Amino acid sequence: MSFDIASLTLILPELFMASAGLLLVVFGAFLGNKSLASISWVSFWVFLAAIFMVLAADWSPVTIMNDMLILDGFGAGFKIMVLAGMMASVLLSLNFVITQDGLGRFEYPILMLLAGLGMLIMIMSNNLLTVYMGLELQSLSLYVLAALQTKSLKSSEAGIKYFVLGALASGMFLFGTSFVYGYTGSIEFQAIGSSVTALASGEAQALPAGFILGMVFVLIAIVFKISAAPFHMWTPDVYQGAPTSVTAFFALVPKVAAIALLIRLLHVPFAAAVDEWQQIIWFVSAASMIVGAFAALVQDNIKRLLAYSSIGHMGYALIGIVLATSYGLEAVVAYLVIYMFMTAGTFAVILMMRKEDVPVTSIRDLAGLSSYQPAMAYALAILMFSMAGIPPLAGFFGKLYIFKAAIEADFVILAVLGVLTSVVAAYYYLRIIKVMFFDEVANEEIVFVKSKSLRVLTWGSLVFVVGFILMPSPVLDFAQSVISGLLG
Amino acid sequence: MMELWTTYGWPLAVMLAQIGVILGLVLFFVAYLTYAERKVLGAMQRRQGPMTVGPLGLLQPIADGVKLLSKEMIIPSQAHRVVFLLAPMLTFMLALIAWAVIPVSPGWVLADINVGILYLFAVSSMGVYGVIMAGWASNSRYAFLGGLRSASQMVSYEVSMGLVIVCVLLCVGSLNLTEIVEAQRPAWMQIMLLPMLVVFLVSILAETNRSPFDLPEGESELSGGFMVEYSAMAFALFFLGEYANMILMSAMTTLLFLGGWLPPFNIEALAFVPGFIWFGLKTAGVLFFYLWTRATFPRYRYDQLMRLGWKVFLPFSLLWVLVVSGVLVFTDTLPQ
Amino acid sequence: MILALSFYLFAAVLVVSSVMVISARNPVHSVLFLILGFFNAAGLMVLLGAEFIAFILVIVYVGAVAVLFLFVVMMLDVDFTSLRKGAMQYLPLGAVIGGVLLFELITIFGAWTFAPTIQDNIVNEIAIGDSVTNAEALGRLIYTDYIVAFQLAGLILLVAMMGAIVLTLRKRAGVRSQKVAEQFARKPSDAMEIKKVTSGTAL
Repeated sequence: MSFDIASLTLILPELFMASAGLLLVVFGAFLGNKSLASISWVSFWVFLAAIFMVLAADWSPVTIMNDMLILDGFGAGFKIMVLAGMMASVLLSLNFVITQDGLGRFEYPILMLLAGLGMLIMIMSNNLLTVYMGLELQSLSLYVLAALQTKSLKSSEAGIKYFVLGALASGMFLFGTSFVYGYTGSIEFQAIGSSVTALASGEAQALPAGFILGMVFVLIAIVFKISAAPFHMWTPDVYQGAPTSVTAFFALVPKVAAIALLIRLLHVPFAAAVDEWQQIIWFVSAASMIVGAFAALVQDNIKRLLAYSSIGHMGYALIGIVLATSYGLEAVVAYLVIYMFMTAGTFAVILMMRKEDVPVTSIRDLAGLSSYQPAMAYALAILMFSMAGIPPLAGFFGKLYIFKAAIEADFVILAVLGVLTSVVAAYYYLRIIKVMFFDEVANEEIVFVKSKSLRVLTWGSLVFVVGFILMPSPVLDFAQSVISGLLG
Repeated sequence: MMELWTTYGWPLAVMLAQIGVILGLVLFFVAYLTYAERKVLGAMQRRQGPMTVGPLGLLQPIADGVKLLSKEMIIPSQAHRVVFLLAPMLTFMLALIAWAVIPVSPGWVLADINVGILYLFAVSSMGVYGVIMAGWASNSRYAFLGGLRSASQMVSYEVSMGLVIVCVLLCVGSLNLTEIVEAQRPAWMQIMLLPMLVVFLVSILAETNRSPFDLPEGESELSGGFMVEYSAMAFALFFLGEYANMILMSAMTTLLFLGGWLPPFNIEALAFVPGFIWFGLKTAGVLFFYLWTRATFPRYRYDQLMRLGWKVFLPFSLLWVLVVSGVLVFTDTLPQ
Repeated sequence: MILALSFYLFAAVLVVSSVMVISARNPVHSVLFLILGFFNAAGLMVLLGAEFIAFILVIVYVGAVAVLFLFVVMMLDVDFTSLRKGAMQYLPLGAVIGGVLLFELITIFGAWTFAPTIQDNIVNEIAIGDSVTNAEALGRLIYTDYIVAFQLAGLILLVAMMGAIVLTLRKRAGVRSQKVAEQFARKPSDAMEIKKVTSGTAL
C-alpha cells in the first residue's frame, strides 16, 4: 500500500495535462470541429503551464508511486524541452490544420496533448512497465495523427506503415523486457542496475548472452522511436505521407523524449553493461550518419529529404551517447536543443508555402524563390546552412561539441566518420539553396500564407541560429545542469 | 477400492444426482413456461390459449415435445454440418450450465463459487455463439442476417449489463451470489439500484432475443432468422435454450435486485414462507414481465435498438456507476 | 489426480486448437478454434486458482472480442487461401530465421544464470489468506502500487477509441437518421391546422 496522496502533487504537470486532455475531448465532442482553433490554443497554454509547473517543482531526485516514476533534474530538463517542442508543434499546426481539407478535426491537438503526456511519462519512468505505458500512449497517438488525413491515400499509408512497424517495435520491447526480467528478477531501474552489476562481477566475469539479447531488444525498440538506422525504414514514408504539420511534430518532439529514455536506460539499469551497449550504439550511430547522408542525396521531396536529414542528425546525437561521458551527454543535450530550433524554423517556412493552394513538397517547386520572395529564401538558406553545419551558425556548434567530446573520449573513428558524412550531407542542403537562388522560376510562383505563428517561429529560430555564437552559455549551462541531474 | 469409492465415487454420485434434479426441474419449468406464455398471451388477447390436450391444456407442452422429437430433421445440403449441429447444442448447454451457481435458498446451490456473478455473466455472454454459428452454418441469407443482428445486439447490451452489475457489486463488495443476496437485507440498496433494475430488465430482453428485441428471429422480416433452417430436435434445442435462458435471466434479476430468497422488503412476518418459494415467486414475476412485454410492444427497428443500447443505456449506466460510488463514498457505506 | 487430469485435458485441447487456428482452411473455423483455445486457457487459470482472471478472460475475449472477430471474418468473406499463396515462397527464408532464433534461444537457456540478487528483487507475493479473494487481492495491487500504470492504460484505451472514431467516422450525405428529440418536440399545432368548415361551403 504505497499509494500516497502527497505524491500526486509531484506529478502535477502530468495530472494537469491528462485532465486538460479529458476535458478538451468533452468540449470538442460538443462543439465539433469548429472548436479546433480554440482547442489548439488551450493546449498551447496547457503546455506552457506545464513548463512552469516543472520549473516550479523541486528537482532533487525522488522516486514516487511505488518507484514507478522518478523525478530529477535530468527528467525535468528533458520535460521542458519536450513541452517547448510541443508548444512549437501546436504553433506549426495551427494554420495548416485549419486550411487543409479533411485535416481540421478537433482531435488533432488533443492527440498531440496525449502524445506529449506519453513522452513525459517515458522521460520520468523508472520502471520498464511505465516505460511501456508511456511508449504506447505516445506511439498510439502518433499513429492516429499520421493517418489523420483520411482522404489522402498517402496519409493512410503512412499511418498503417507506422502502426505495423511500431507495433513490431513494441513487441520487441516486451520480448526484451521479459529477458531482462528473467535474468534480474525486476523491472525497476535501480534494481536492474544493481543486479546487472552483480551479474557482471559474478563467477563468469561477463554478462550472460541472454541478458544482452534482452537488452538489445529493449534498445532496438527505443532506437526505432528515434528513427536511427538500421531501424529507420518507416521514417521516409511516414514523413512524406503524414500531413506536413504532423511531420514537423514527428521531427521535433518524439525523438527528444526517446533520447532521454535511451540515456536513462543506458546509465541507470544497463550502466554495468557499458562495454556491451557501446558497441551497439556505436554501430547505430555510424549507420545513421551514413544512411542520413547518402540516401538523402537522391531525394526530390522536401519532407523525405528532411526525414533522412533527421536520421543523420540522430546519428550525430548518438555519438555523444556512445562516449558514456558526462561531457558527451551534455553535447547531446546541446545538440538536441539546436536541432529543435533548426527543425522548427525549417518546417515553419515549409508550412507557409502553397502553390495553387496545395502545400509545396517538391524541391523543384522552390526554383528561383529568391527572385520573388528574397526574405523567405534567405531565411530558408540560413537554416539550411545551419543544418549543414556551416560556421558561424548554431548547427556548426552542435556538431563541434559532439566531435570534440568524441575526440576527448578517444572515439576518433566515429568523429572522423561524422565529419565526412557532414561533408556529404552538406551537398543536399546546399542543393536546396542552389535551387532557390540560381534556378529559373518555375511556371507557378509560390505563395506564402500569412500566419503570425509561423512567422514568429521562423524569426525566433533564425535569431537563435544566428545569435547562438554570441551567447552559447544558456544552452550549455542548461545541458550541464540536465546531465548533472542524472550523473550527479 | 473402498477408498476410491468414498473419495471419488460417492461425491460424484451425489453431484450427478444434484445435477439431475436441477436439470429436471429446469426442463420442467421450461416446458410449463411455454404453456404459461401461451395462456398469458391468450388472456391478454382475449383468447383461450391451449386447452384441448389434457385438463386445461396442461399436457400441451408434452405433446409438443413428443411432436418435435418424432419429426424428421433436415440438414440443408450446403450447410456446414458440424457447426450447424453444434449451434443448437451449444445454446442449450449454456442455458443449462449456468444453473450450477444459482442459489435458490441459503446453501441450495450446486457450486457456491467466489465469482458466481462473473460466471453467470460469462455464460450469458457466450450465448451469442449459438446464434451466430447457426446463422453462419445454415448457409442462408435470412439466417445469416439473423446471426449478424443478434451478434451486434447481444454485444451492445452486454456492455450496459456489465455496468449495471458493477453498480450492484459496488454496493455489495463481493462477487459471490449468496453474499450478493444477503447484502440486500437493508432495503436502501434496492431503492438506490432501482434505475439500474429498469436498465437491466430491458437489457435482458435484448440479451435473450425476446420481443420487442426479437430482431434476430424477426418472423415478419427474416422469416425466423437464424432458426429458419432448423427443424425437429435441433429446433427444439434452440427453443428450449431460449426459454431456459429466460428463466435464467429472471433468476439473475431476482438475485441481483429483488433480494433472492429474502422475503419482500425483508419483512420478518413473511419469513415463515421458505426461501425458495420467495425466489420462485420473484422469478415468476420477472417472467411475467417478459410475457407482458411481448404482448404489449411492437418490435423495435434495428437502428432504434442500437440507439437505445449505445446512446441511452450506456451513458446512463456509466453515470449511475458514478452516482452509486459517489453516494457510497460520501455516506461512508462502502463495503469493506 | 483430478487436477492433473484436468490440466492435461485443458492443455491438450488448448494446444490442438491453437494449431487448428493457424491451419484451418476456413477462417470461420479458425476463429471458432480460437474461442475454444480461450476457453481452455480460462480452464487452466481456474486450475491455478485465478478464477477472477479466468472469468474475465471468458467475458472479455470470448464474450466480446472473439464475437467481433467472428463478425468481421463472416462479413468480409476473405479468401484466405489466396492470401496464403505467397507464403510458401517465403517459407524457406522464414524457416531459416526461425531455426536461427531457436538455436539462439536454446544456447541462451543452456547458459542461464540468474543474478545473485534475484531473490531480493522478485516482488514478494502479497499474503493471500483464505479470507482475501482473488478479485480483492488484484484490486489491492492495481489501485495502490500500480495505479500509474493502470491509469495510463485507461488513457491508452481512450486514445485507441478516439483514433478509431476519428479515422472512420465521416458524415455521409443523404443519410436520413432519426432525430428523436425533434420528434418529441413536435406538437400537433406544428403540422396540423384545424379549420371550421361550415356545411355547404368549400375551403
